[in-house]
Amino acid sequence: MPVIVMASPKGGVGKSTCAVLLASEFARMGADVTVLDCDPNKSLSRWASHGMPKGVSLLSDIGRSEIVPSIRAADGDGKIVIVDLEGIASQLVSRAISQADLVIVPMQATALDAEIGSEALALVREEEDALGRDIRHAVVLTKTSAAVKSRVQKELEEQLSGAGIDVIEPSLVARAAFSEIFAYGGDLTAMMNDTELRTGGKVDKALANAQSFAEAVYERLK
Amino acid sequence: MNGSNRLAGLTARPKETSAEEVRRVDDVGEARGFLDRTPRKKPGRKPSPRTHQLHPKVFPKVGEAIAAEAEKLGITQGQLIEQMWELYSS
Repeated sequence: MPVIVMASPKGGVGKSTCAVLLASEFARMGADVTVLDCDPNKSLSRWASHGMPKGVSLLSDIGRSEIVPSIRAADGDGKIVIVDLEGIASQLVSRAISQADLVIVPMQATALDAEIGSEALALVREEEDALGRDIRHAVVLTKTSAAVKSRVQKELEEQLSGAGIDVIEPSLVARAAFSEIFAYGGDLTAMMNDTELRTGGKVDKALANAQSFAEAVYERLK
Repeated sequence: MNGSNRLAGLTARPKETSAEEVRRVDDVGEARGFLDRTPRKKPGRKPSPRTHQLHPKVFPKVGEAIAAEAEKLGITQGQLIEQMWELYSS
């Protein structure tokens, strides 16, 4: 089953959020999902410490030496492997990319995110050349506005598409629930059904966004 | 999106994981600034927890015998004194 790698040398772009949303949604669909937390900030481990959705297991403290064997060990029939990487340019990142069926590069619609994120895209292409095989990759814009598509976002989407880069639609909208899930644990469905939960946003909208995002990723894995 | 049957159709492409291929990937990454950033251990020996000092004056013969015995046992003179103290106080 596929290995999905979240990569960007920039921190705070939404790699861990994408990993949590995809893990939750694929597990809800019935897959056995293994999430590899390779980020020294341990965002996924913190999320998991509050409870994990059924069907998701976590491996943490994965370093440069362990990444390739860990992905290999976690991969298998009926299993989806999701790798959340650190936000720096490291050999750990390049090794994880080499094992990916899909590399997702999250970026906010800013010039800085696009510039640094493009380093990951360039690395994927160079690894494709070196290894002599395609590594599917796509950008997802994160923390976008729910109300309007900004001029910068439109321009960035045009630039990416113009450069032949696959851009995942929908983008991930800036939703409070996407941040709150790290303190709550579990998945958005559990958050939505929790009548005692006090949230600063609309969980149902966040869930719909996450489901559409997971569907778009699924289409790229077929 | 529902039903596990859709996911069951997903497959992973076979990937090489040989040492040679990993080295090639490392080389490509390094050329683009993706370096080995594994935290290094602090160099040098760890500080000893033995921080108290004794300065006893003894006859040269006794001092030499203590030094020779510690060397024979492969321990420091301080550790030998600790062992002696343990025996004395037990």
